[in-house]
Amino acid sequence: MSVAWIGSQPVPLTDAVRNAAKLLASSRCPVFTLDADVHGTRSAIALAERLGGAYDHAAGDLLAKEVALFTDHGGMFTTPGEARRRSSLIVIVGEIPVAHHELLRAWADSQPDLGDRQKRSWFHIDGTETAEAGKLARKLKAISLRGEVLSLPAALGVLRAGLQGQRIAASLTNIDRFKKALTTAQFPVFVFSGTSGETAGLVMLQGLIADLNKTGRASSVFLPADDDAWGTALTSLWMTGFPPRTGFSNSLPSYDPGRWDIQRMIRDKEADLHVWMSTRGGETPPRGGKIPLISLSKTNAPTSGAKITISVGKAGIDHDGVSYSSRTGTFRAVQAAQPSQLPSVSSIIGQLAEALPGKKALPC
Amino acid sequence: MLIRLTGGEVVDPVNGATAKRDVWIRDGLLVDAPKGATADETHDVSGCIVMAGAIDIHSHIGGGNVNTARLLLPEHHRSHLPRPANTPLSNAGWSTFQTGTLYAQMGFTTVVEPAMAPYTALHTHLELADIPIIDKATLAILGNDDFTLSLLRDSKSKAMLDDYVAWVIGSTRALGVKVINAGAAAAFKENVRSFSLDDTVPEYGVSSRKIVKSLQASVTRLDVPHPLHVHANNLGIAGSADTAAATIAATEGVPLHLAHLQFYGYGTEGKRKFSSEAARLAEAVNANPDVTIDIGQVMFGQTVTISSDVMRQFSAIGNASPKKTVILDGDGNGGGGIVPYRYKQDYYGSLQWAVGLELFLLITDPWRVYFTTDHPNGAPFTAYPELFELLMSSNARDAKSTELNATALGLTTLASVRREYTLEEIAIMTRAAPAKLLGLKDRGHLGAGGIADIAVYRKGRDIAKMFREAALVFKNGDLVVKNGKVTHYRWGKTLRLNPPPDKAMVKRMQAYHEERYGLSLDWFTFPDSAIQRPDPFAEVVS
Repeated sequence: MSVAWIGSQPVPLTDAVRNAAKLLASSRCPVFTLDADVHGTRSAIALAERLGGAYDHAAGDLLAKEVALFTDHGGMFTTPGEARRRSSLIVIVGEIPVAHHELLRAWADSQPDLGDRQKRSWFHIDGTETAEAGKLARKLKAISLRGEVLSLPAALGVLRAGLQGQRIAASLTNIDRFKKALTTAQFPVFVFSGTSGETAGLVMLQGLIADLNKTGRASSVFLPADDDAWGTALTSLWMTGFPPRTGFSNSLPSYDPGRWDIQRMIRDKEADLHVWMSTRGGETPPRGGKIPLISLSKTNAPTSGAKITISVGKAGIDHDGVSYSSRTGTFRAVQAAQPSQLPSVSSIIGQLAEALPGKKALPC
Repeated sequence: MLIRLTGGEVVDPVNGATAKRDVWIRDGLLVDAPKGATADETHDVSGCIVMAGAIDIHSHIGGGNVNTARLLLPEHHRSHLPRPANTPLSNAGWSTFQTGTLYAQMGFTTVVEPAMAPYTALHTHLELADIPIIDKATLAILGNDDFTLSLLRDSKSKAMLDDYVAWVIGSTRALGVKVINAGAAAAFKENVRSFSLDDTVPEYGVSSRKIVKSLQASVTRLDVPHPLHVHANNLGIAGSADTAAATIAATEGVPLHLAHLQFYGYGTEGKRKFSSEAARLAEAVNANPDVTIDIGQVMFGQTVTISSDVMRQFSAIGNASPKKTVILDGDGNGGGGIVPYRYKQDYYGSLQWAVGLELFLLITDPWRVYFTTDHPNGAPFTAYPELFELLMSSNARDAKSTELNATALGLTTLASVRREYTLEEIAIMTRAAPAKLLGLKDRGHLGAGGIADIAVYRKGRDIAKMFREAALVFKNGDLVVKNGKVTHYRWGKTLRLNPPPDKAMVKRMQAYHEERYGLSLDWFTFPDSAIQRPDPFAEVVS
């Protein structure tokens, strides 16, 4: 089975690496779309630094929104483990990605063993009903907190004002039930994600939580829209000091979510080479760009439109690795579930670096 | 490879008086002068001081909270210079790569991250593995987790507590144990807002004192070389000196290390009810040989406070500058708070600055006082050169004092203390004593058999310049710094104890995590191979 292609032609891996290195070496502004485990990300960022490129995650738009909550505001958070064990009142905020539904259902099947130890109750605050959020809310038997024609940020604002005792024209369904639940819950937790709404809404949510903490306790669980993307953000932070949408000019990293938006750079022809990574399989590079593409993806066929395709494995499936997990809110070592011959992203990037002029190894 | 450093003034208090002598390195280790041998490489270090590589016992250099601070404050750590050849990302502001580079350039070769939450140990070690050049170590946090508190509440045996502590040390790859405001993080989750040594944690009925004493005894029974590392209650508040004094008095013959004592050096005297109690605390330390301390010196300017003392950090939100913070109620011993802060040369900042220096200067035994700024809490570690100057020059202290709040300084003893640290005392405080405290027999001195971690400083009147840019630094005999600049990367080790786990405790941990978190134990543990660097850890034999 082929693992490397130049255009649509299968080639030995060494030929693909050599040709990809030539493209990289001749590029003035390569851009990298990341989607790998921690070690693949480390290698990719090191390569971007070597080449003076820029990088973002494949889920860059959602990730940028989640990052902005922290860079612009901050907040109060707790871990999934602590919420499971301690919180008898959970509020789902907006839409939570399907990938996290199993986690929330597991909480629903368990009883808090710390704090007030009451039977867990669930609420769901939303602006515009969505199919997935509604389905999850029904499964969790969550009580709806909604207002007519209110967006989620507006609904959160109404809830915050209501809890402050302010007089407001709008109201939310079941607000009195929620207030009553708050009086007995010792550690209410609001669960949100980047999919929950715009950053302004998330900031309003944190304001509400700050209010609750003036006299009692409350917190939030952040479930990233994409665990791998959040892992990439954390890795990028320790390597460069910055989250993704970082680029290197004169070897200096700079963070700018507008300037280093990879898709924008491709569209605006600021970039002249796109290195696209995707280890989850079945993905295709976004349309819209006409610059040369190097694909490092989990595939058994050449990527459409790619000058070079190299098939790579996924950490936790094809090889061991380290990934971020919302189950614990931190990194987890993952073992290969179905070990294969597919190389890891980090090993391919290591080979690319050695094939570049100078043949220097990367620092990771 | 045989290397000779010749012509330098060797400051190595462990192995004798300061004198001009050659230092020899063979294959990464220090050796006695070999008879009749010719060096493969000779460095003329005439006019220089030669010391062992420095060791920092308390500096927050990696892990979840440090990374969250990076996320919160991208505007605070812009890169400033193009990177030199061969050291990628070394000028990337506050990156792991910059951390190793800046430490090495000052002659530091081993640094301890003192606050590793057990459940995020893998994250911490991933970051530490990307810090080049220096060796690292971690202290695992205990004392706020349900398992420890339940053992104490239920009066379980000392042996069971010891098995648990040993399992945590081993599974997290730690070199020791730290307790942070014992019990307070658990109490904060129950809406307790202040917590002192004899307060009890709701649900468990266990006092902070009992947690500290129990862990202190356990660490001692387990022969962990580093005594329990204690971040006491009531950090940073007026009157905290009483808590620190009570903690010091409670050692009862068992070793204890009290972290960043400066932040507890405050009384309630004066118009502002915020005064120096440094002299009293220094006297208490001088009188109690069980106790070692590090300072946590405050220097002026912008920094960010990072602490797992979540109760304290929550109370400091109002002082955040800029106005954004992260507060995390973590699992057990995890979590904490990130609160950016600017130390101003006003009354409070001036007093804090003076309290730290008073402690440095009034604690008489350099083997029991350690050089830290609690990076980045009191100041970034890059402020160390200026701090060395303040300790070694009373004129430098006087000059700085003229810029500060006179009322605050008038309430301290600082102006009357004329002590100046000698180079030998600096070598003890930053090399020999930390090695002894951590149980690292292979470093902190320049005797034969030690690893060749060496810092060479060019003597000069400008003390800060001397310590900011080492003339030469060797790590394991590899010359990594020349004229204050890192020449290339190498990858140090993370030092750990690695006690064998008790099988019954492992089973107990498996059952505990499955029952309480609904997850198997392997979600919380990791193999060494997860780090993906060759031999990332090195064993320290206790």
